[in-house]
Amino acid sequence: MTNDPSAPAPSRARSAYSGRRARAPIVRHAVLLAWSLIVLFPIYWMVMTSFKDSGEWVTWPPRWVPYEPTLLNYRQIFIPADEARGTLARQATEQAFSIWKALGDSLLICLVTSFISLLLGTFLAYAISRFQVGGKYFRYVILTIRMVPPIVIAIPLLMYYAIMIPYATESVLGFRISLFDTYVGIGALYVAVTLPFVIWMMLSFIDEIPYTLEHAARMMGAGRIYVLRKVVFPLVASGMVVTFLFVFILNWAEFLLALTLTYPDVTTLPILLNKFQSASEGRLYGPQAAIGTIITVPVVILGITIQKHLIKGFSFGMIRK
Amino acid sequence: MAARRGSLLPELWPAMSTTAGMHAQRAPRAGAFARLGAWFAQERVFRLIPFVLVEAMFILIVIVPFILTIYISLLRWRANRPFEQATFQGFDNYVAVLGNEAFWTALGRTFYFAGVAVTLELLIGFVLAMLVNRLNRGQRFYITIFLIPMMIVPVVVGYNFSMIYLDSGPFNQLLAPLLEPFGIDPRIRWLSHPIAAQWAIILADVWQWTSLTFLIFMSGFAALPRQLINAARVMGASRSQIFWKIELPLLKPAIVIAVVIRGMEALKMFDSVALLTTGGPGTSTQTIAFYMWEQVWVFNKYSFGAAASIVLLFIFAILIFFGIYMLVRQRSIVMQQGI
Amino acid sequence: MARIVLRDLVKQFGAYKAVNGVNLDIRDGEFLIMVGPSGCGKTTTLNMISGLETPTSGDILIGETVVNDLDPGERGLGMVFQDLALFPHMTVFENIAFGLRVKKVAESEVQSRVRAAAETVNITKRLETMPRQCSGGESQRVALARTIVTNPRVFLMDEPLSSLDAKLRVDMRTELKRLHEQLKATFVYVTHDQAEAMTMADRIVVMNGGRIEQVGAPLEIYRKPATQFVAGFFGMPTMNFVPGTIERNGSGAVFRAQVGDVTQPVDAVVTPELIGKPVVLGVRAEHVVVGGGGTGAAVRLVEPLGDGTLVFCDYGAESLLVAKVDADSLLKSGDSLNFRFDPPRTHLFDAQRGVRLN
Repeated sequence: MTNDPSAPAPSRARSAYSGRRARAPIVRHAVLLAWSLIVLFPIYWMVMTSFKDSGEWVTWPPRWVPYEPTLLNYRQIFIPADEARGTLARQATEQAFSIWKALGDSLLICLVTSFISLLLGTFLAYAISRFQVGGKYFRYVILTIRMVPPIVIAIPLLMYYAIMIPYATESVLGFRISLFDTYVGIGALYVAVTLPFVIWMMLSFIDEIPYTLEHAARMMGAGRIYVLRKVVFPLVASGMVVTFLFVFILNWAEFLLALTLTYPDVTTLPILLNKFQSASEGRLYGPQAAIGTIITVPVVILGITIQKHLIKGFSFGMIRK
Repeated sequence: MAARRGSLLPELWPAMSTTAGMHAQRAPRAGAFARLGAWFAQERVFRLIPFVLVEAMFILIVIVPFILTIYISLLRWRANRPFEQATFQGFDNYVAVLGNEAFWTALGRTFYFAGVAVTLELLIGFVLAMLVNRLNRGQRFYITIFLIPMMIVPVVVGYNFSMIYLDSGPFNQLLAPLLEPFGIDPRIRWLSHPIAAQWAIILADVWQWTSLTFLIFMSGFAALPRQLINAARVMGASRSQIFWKIELPLLKPAIVIAVVIRGMEALKMFDSVALLTTGGPGTSTQTIAFYMWEQVWVFNKYSFGAAASIVLLFIFAILIFFGIYMLVRQRSIVMQQGI
Repeated sequence: MARIVLRDLVKQFGAYKAVNGVNLDIRDGEFLIMVGPSGCGKTTTLNMISGLETPTSGDILIGETVVNDLDPGERGLGMVFQDLALFPHMTVFENIAFGLRVKKVAESEVQSRVRAAAETVNITKRLETMPRQCSGGESQRVALARTIVTNPRVFLMDEPLSSLDAKLRVDMRTELKRLHEQLKATFVYVTHDQAEAMTMADRIVVMNGGRIEQVGAPLEIYRKPATQFVAGFFGMPTMNFVPGTIERNGSGAVFRAQVGDVTQPVDAVVTPELIGKPVVLGVRAEHVVVGGGGTGAAVRLVEPLGDGTLVFCDYGAESLLVAKVDADSLLKSGDSLNFRFDPPRTHLFDAQRGVRLN
């Protein structure tokens, strides 16, 4: 090394954006936090409203935190109206408020249809994955069903359920059976509508299991059912749970078909919430918020538990991670 | 030499006769259930049972209703009269639908809503994904929060936004400091103004579904091959060059998938309209789904609704065909890149 | 008897014939290796023996029985797969025991047989671990043990060593050979690696394009390849091929290369109709004699191997000629040399059909 004092000190090469780089993380976090607030605010507002007394529902300026937090809204939807009389606004007592019917119907329909859909869809996905049942493009044919807007299906189904099946059963059996506003009617539809999701999600799970595992088991003398039970099922079980939860969330949220083909005998939670929305005598913001919170909380918890797999469901398994 | 059915083990391998013998003993005890199991385990049965079941279900609750709908669409019938009194009137309903300005306006409006909403969702989702992807810490935190809207029931989203846009709601409160100096009463009824109401619906959709585009782009970014970008760096490419010339082209499949999936979903838009504006003020926020719902369920125009359904199905069939075509093309790329 | 006979076996996938008329007699207790490039039909043939694929036409006989319609499990064969196919959700013990559990063997017998099988392949210590915790070599042994435990008289193996690294693969070859001797069972082994085939097999079946090119003992195949394809497939480096014609030369005949000054007497075999026909002369690198007269050539590349050195030289033809010379040779790139071929070690093939002529 030369020791020449006149030589210029070696200058460190500086990246052109080293100055910007230092500030970048702060800007980044600011933007991300802003969006986080936007995302969380409507939910925060609903939860807060659900704890507000009727006097605080609508005020100017609006109250960000209830001054007198109350559980009245929850009491109102969980306890039959006549018991709660006297503590509520006039219009509140005039309507049937109980959430129990809708909660029960929603749970029943979602659990049963998601289960049937899962069962059918898993078997079909297995057949598609392993035997190319229905041909190479069958999986895309299935996808088309999901892309048709539900209103296009709802109108034919209304006529089918409310007219054709009653006419047909009357002429054949002698009495009318209508599928309109029945558990079977809406349930069958929910199975059909969620099947494409189940098939696509399960396909992405089943495709990941090497077929040779099954070959190996078959070589060792295991029959098809035995292979399914001991090899395939244990490996896709977690995928089936995820798929079930995903389909459950879909059914739980379904509105249009329930609106058009059910009520009042079958009432799901979204229908109940909508009923309040269109109440003619002024809206009941508090109880609505309480119902909204009750609808939302379980699904958000389920959703966060299957967070990693949500993408598979919503993108029809197009995207895997 | 004829093939013999059944276990060949005894003849073939004497060494295995112990286990094979057990088979032979069990056979006579096999009951109806076991025989059913054996029948089901045959490959052709095994392949086809779920297929036939599902196909049967679709024929029963999709195909048959559509045939019925085509028939009803050819009748002159409103639900306030019994079905027996309906008269055949040919294609008049189709002429009525195709010549109906409200139908086409609602359809056009739906495309407008979907177009604006999906564009915003793509842009915001892309930027958020890019920012989160560059974080070293806290990725999980943001992902978890950003995903929440996706899980919220659309009806609840509609309700939530109806609260926020309320004349004495928090949205106006936030605007108040900007408006009050000009002497404007900040308690604006947003949902009573046609254009503001349209934007209210679009923004509710953006709020909910940016989560999905964000998630799709997150997987897209995660699948970007690091080596390629490093190679470009070594070759002296600038950051913007890397973005435009390498990252963006590689993200194309993710973008296409996001556009198709979100686009097809956005065209179904109904729930937030029903909850936020019920199509109003006037008909300014009626989407096609809402318009048809109103025709059939409110005005009871059954045969008109049936014809409209069939027309809409045709329009969507074309869209779906193109959508699926694009998905199939991108999917092979996605599978290779492992998004 | 664990004798397997394949008769006119054909497997068609759509219009593509993966296996196109295979006849083969696999003897009881032999170590038979099917080798060929990917897509040659060897794996399909193996899958048809195992029952995982159904032949389009032709018969598969095990012993004296046609087994075409039997399920894989009913044929009493054991199979080791390319990706090993260990069940990821079961312990090593349960993986090995699977075949016994299927047949509802009593628990005490399962215990003893699994342990015996694990001992045979030295994995007794890993019985309680999950397959994903096992190293490559251990997984390999588990897959073997799982097959051994059911006492099949025939083992089918589909490239079982391909997932291992190079050194382990060589070790496992010895192990497999030992296992074969110990079990006295028939091994049918599929690989694309000619070195594996050469080292382990009693007999080798070389396949190409859905057909069998040659069946024979390893050295027989190495020394007397029946076709140009077989000649090129076996041996490292690849055999030199020199295209040319045969010319009459007095009472005998001589091979003359198309390009370059290469001639080679080929007296022994030549029939009159071969004269003037295009042929290919094949000679392995170790049978190229360098120095002491012959064709002149320039050295282009030198690859020392340790025990010898490969010299790539240019004598005017399109492809370089490889010669294996002594490791102490001082040849370097740019040098010139003379080479000739060792007459009894040359191979003559028909240029069109690739069939051996001498």
